[in-house]
Amino acid sequence: MSEATATRTPPAVDAFEPKIIAFVCNWCTYTGADLAGTSRLQMAPNVRIIRLPCTGRIDPLFIVKAFERGADGVIVSGCHPGDCHYTAGNFHARRRFAVAREIMGFLGIDLDRVTFSWVSASEGGKWSEVVNETTARVRKLGPFNTYRDLVAGS
Amino acid sequence: MQELVDLTSKLLQNGDVNVVIGYEEGPRGVRPVVAATPDDCRRLIFDHRAVHNLATYLSPRRKHLRVRGRAAVVLKGCDAAAVATLLRERQLKRDDVVLIGVRCGGVYRTTTAEGALSADNVADRCGGCALREPTLVDHLVGDLPPEPPTAGQRAARIAALEELSPAERFDYWRRSLADCVRCNACRAVCPLCVCERCVADKTDPQWIESSPHLRGNFSWHMARALHLAGRCVDCGECQRACPAGIPLTVINGKVGQVMGARFGFRPTDDPDAPAPIGTFDPDDSQEFIR
Amino acid sequence: MARIGVFVCHCGENIGRTVDCAQVAEACGSFPGVVHSVDYKYMCSDPGQLQIKEAIKEKGLTGVVVAACSPHMHEKTFRKAAAAAGLNPFLCEMANIREHCSWIHEDRARATAKAIDLTRFIVEKVKRNQPLVPISIPVERRALVIGAGIAGIQAALDIADGGREVILVEKEPSIGGHMSQLSETFPTLDCSQCILTPRMVEAFQHPRIKLMTYSEVESLEGYIGNFAVTIRKKARSVDDELCNGCGDCQSACPVKKIPSEFDAGLGKRTAIYVPFPQAVPNIPVIDRERCTRFKAMRKGKKKEVCGRCLKACGREAIDFAQEDRLITEKVGAIVFATGYQLYSIGEEQPREHLSGYGEYGYGEIPDVIDGMQFERLASASGPTGGRIERPSDGKEPETVVFLQCVGSRDPQKGIDYCSKLCCMYIAKHTMLYRHKVHHGRAVVFYMDVRAGGKGYDEFVRRAVEEDGAEYVRGRVSRLYRAGDKVRVCGFDTLSGEPLEMDADMVVMATAIQPQPGIESLAQKLSVSYDKSGFINEAHPKLKPVETNTAGIYVAGACQAPRDIPDAVAMASAAASKVLGLFSNEELERDPCVAQVDETTCSGCFHCERVCPYGAVEHLEVRDRGGNLIKVIAKVNQGVCQGCGTCQATCPSKSVELLGFTDAQIFAAINSL
Repeated sequence: MSEATATRTPPAVDAFEPKIIAFVCNWCTYTGADLAGTSRLQMAPNVRIIRLPCTGRIDPLFIVKAFERGADGVIVSGCHPGDCHYTAGNFHARRRFAVAREIMGFLGIDLDRVTFSWVSASEGGKWSEVVNETTARVRKLGPFNTYRDLVAGS
Repeated sequence: MQELVDLTSKLLQNGDVNVVIGYEEGPRGVRPVVAATPDDCRRLIFDHRAVHNLATYLSPRRKHLRVRGRAAVVLKGCDAAAVATLLRERQLKRDDVVLIGVRCGGVYRTTTAEGALSADNVADRCGGCALREPTLVDHLVGDLPPEPPTAGQRAARIAALEELSPAERFDYWRRSLADCVRCNACRAVCPLCVCERCVADKTDPQWIESSPHLRGNFSWHMARALHLAGRCVDCGECQRACPAGIPLTVINGKVGQVMGARFGFRPTDDPDAPAPIGTFDPDDSQEFIR
Repeated sequence: MARIGVFVCHCGENIGRTVDCAQVAEACGSFPGVVHSVDYKYMCSDPGQLQIKEAIKEKGLTGVVVAACSPHMHEKTFRKAAAAAGLNPFLCEMANIREHCSWIHEDRARATAKAIDLTRFIVEKVKRNQPLVPISIPVERRALVIGAGIAGIQAALDIADGGREVILVEKEPSIGGHMSQLSETFPTLDCSQCILTPRMVEAFQHPRIKLMTYSEVESLEGYIGNFAVTIRKKARSVDDELCNGCGDCQSACPVKKIPSEFDAGLGKRTAIYVPFPQAVPNIPVIDRERCTRFKAMRKGKKKEVCGRCLKACGREAIDFAQEDRLITEKVGAIVFATGYQLYSIGEEQPREHLSGYGEYGYGEIPDVIDGMQFERLASASGPTGGRIERPSDGKEPETVVFLQCVGSRDPQKGIDYCSKLCCMYIAKHTMLYRHKVHHGRAVVFYMDVRAGGKGYDEFVRRAVEEDGAEYVRGRVSRLYRAGDKVRVCGFDTLSGEPLEMDADMVVMATAIQPQPGIESLAQKLSVSYDKSGFINEAHPKLKPVETNTAGIYVAGACQAPRDIPDAVAMASAAASKVLGLFSNEELERDPCVAQVDETTCSGCFHCERVCPYGAVEHLEVRDRGGNLIKVIAKVNQGVCQGCGTCQATCPSKSVELLGFTDAQIFAAINSL
């Protein structure tokens, strides 16, 4: 992974390290991330996980909240379609995210800062890929203080 | 429109309703009116200037109107779609209201425009309208006028915005939303903003920052768009009410495009049609999900 | 004011190696509201837990955060410890700094910084945690078993023998399922009916089993321990109280040429019929589609035609006016055991994505039959009395070709899975055939022979070595009529040669599929199913008989292709789960459920539309004079499973999911 190579050359003291919040469901992605840990899959240390019961619980405004607080990127991840512990939470979430994402994009939030993924409890490897890819992408985009600092800009 | 006057007078005379909500000639073009007597009904008109969505008066939040008793309301097709949504979401009982549909040939953008409908003065929603003869009605009046022309400006504006880079788009909205003073006129006029306590007014925890700075404004307008996704009937009242001239229908139009393209959603006046948000298809497209 | 205690675990070297635990503890000590912050080698050890308990008591903690492994590992442990010290267990949470931090990072400084962040998230959340009390719900200690094949019968008997009442529902007129149709069973070749019939009778006579045949589940409400199931008892047109099963009505019935479902279409039955002689209950049913009288009634004829059964019945049990009845029963647990059907080989398919096997001429060539039809030919109770006769002319076939994997393992035809039983039953068929027709040839076309199971491989070898079955590895591309024979065109993949031969009869081992209508039943019960319609187990290894809806269990071939021993094992497992559940008078449920704010709910019921469990009810809010003010949502906390989809959907944020409230999540985000 590009992340792994990046850590080999020590970053400059004030190099930009993206802050990324991940909203994940308890049953699939959280457990998948546990598996990544158990399997000792090394990944970028930029992601902070917030555990929720289900992607159905994730209001798209959580993403906005995260940006408000200075997050540079956001990951939203849950069970694959059909695997939802609660049978249909992720189906409802998928529709909600589909629309919310386009609204955010239309208002000028760079969608490369937001990753949506399905990561099952057995996909520790995929979780580490999602983490590394998102971190690399957001690192390239630079800090997203723009949104947080909107409060000062008016 | 004599047919409308006769019908509404009769409804009042028979005691079927206590008031009729319709349109009358006002000092600045057409305006809504609440007619309580057959005499009042003679003032009722309907033409291309009847841009208001009168369904907004049926919202359960309009308690002042409810105390006047059973109402009849004059509806264009788009307004009937809003009524359908109120019914679907149990904000209104079908028996509590008499719906008078009007066959519609489109409306202007403003209440004061004049002359033939043209691509320049017609409302954005009118071109290709499928609801010119509303079906969710108790009475249907008027003859079916010719199809309205299609306004192209909004679609062009959406397309132009989509061409921009995210940063440029962000700048555009930063400029537009800077003027928002959070007067909440958009919310007050919307027939489908029906919450007893809006999420924007919730303080513990606070979802939307309430002071009118840009960050709160962004959050508010995103929340508004999200909550109207798959419900908005594109009546454009929010933009008309906005004192800051924020192009809200551009956002609404974009959301409408997304709902149409993804879920085949078009505003409908069938209250039994399922809403796109709150339902799902296991095979919904998920190209944006890794 | 919050008084939070933070306990940072080294987990030996597991966390300590990459995370500076002392630094984490020190940093956490400076967070507002944290009054106690320590690190220790093993927090989950007895001395570790003791530290937590003592701190709770000595420092008067209002919340505990254990920064250690995944909550999936030790949340229960630490909550128990907190509870032992008098703190509500739901005020204790874990920050995952092992799986999500120390194990996946090498850079000590950055891993430590991350561990501090992760712990801060949880500290901020716990400050807003509310004490919660597990919900107690009473258990209705009766079970419903859907489907009375061997799996359903076994489950019902086990539960009933365990002392609990069972309602056993079967959609056909008789219990017994497919097993009652089989001739002999592998790998012992014992007679299927001889071992099944006693169990059927036992189920029928059991004082704690209420048998409902010719009945289907109409709807289900409720939740684990408290289901209310509505069952449609279809009109038999025969009063089951009066009928004594003498069979006079059947003899009198003039409509005698209806293909018998039990005989897989090879035998005939009457319009009023008992599916087979050993049927339980031995009470006939009138096939209203085919009965002359009902046909005439449908055409609007006023005159009452036929009625010979009515006249023949000495007990006045025939009731043409009988109607379907809906019966509601309260049960606490459900076993889903609806069984299978065979892949239909012809052009018409029950599911869109299946495409059939037109090239095999099933339905056109009478001597091309499926495995179940062969069972009936070989059965002593079958239409030929157990003689192997081919359907076209009744001649004894000299060469029988068996095709394996028809429909199975063929993604292009719509099924990618292996049907599991066919290798075994085809081997059995070759033996049964050779035992009856000593000079006959039994040729089997196979892809692989999968004979995993006790005594199974020996059984297949016996078919080849002792009974002379000829196994050809290859697929058959086409069957067509050649005189009075069936021409079999195939390919021998071992020799690499095309192969053609003439057979007197062809038997196809068609794929196992779930029963038609399983999807709609699964939807009624809110249990999930896979793309083939098989019911999903809650976990493929650790919860093989649970479904993802609490209180509903699965047994037999509705979950995947299952042979009799598998189905019975599953049924007994499901029954023991049910009995385990019933050993409690009350159930404790996780109290992380949704709650509606009555003051702000507008009653739009978006929550009701998205709730996967139907947990949202309508509550009428009235003023003191009894006037209706509004109708709002109310969550039935016994039904709610705590997904929180309602909360994310609610536009006015008038629903809160306890344990995951917006305030708690925002607090975590805000601490970024």
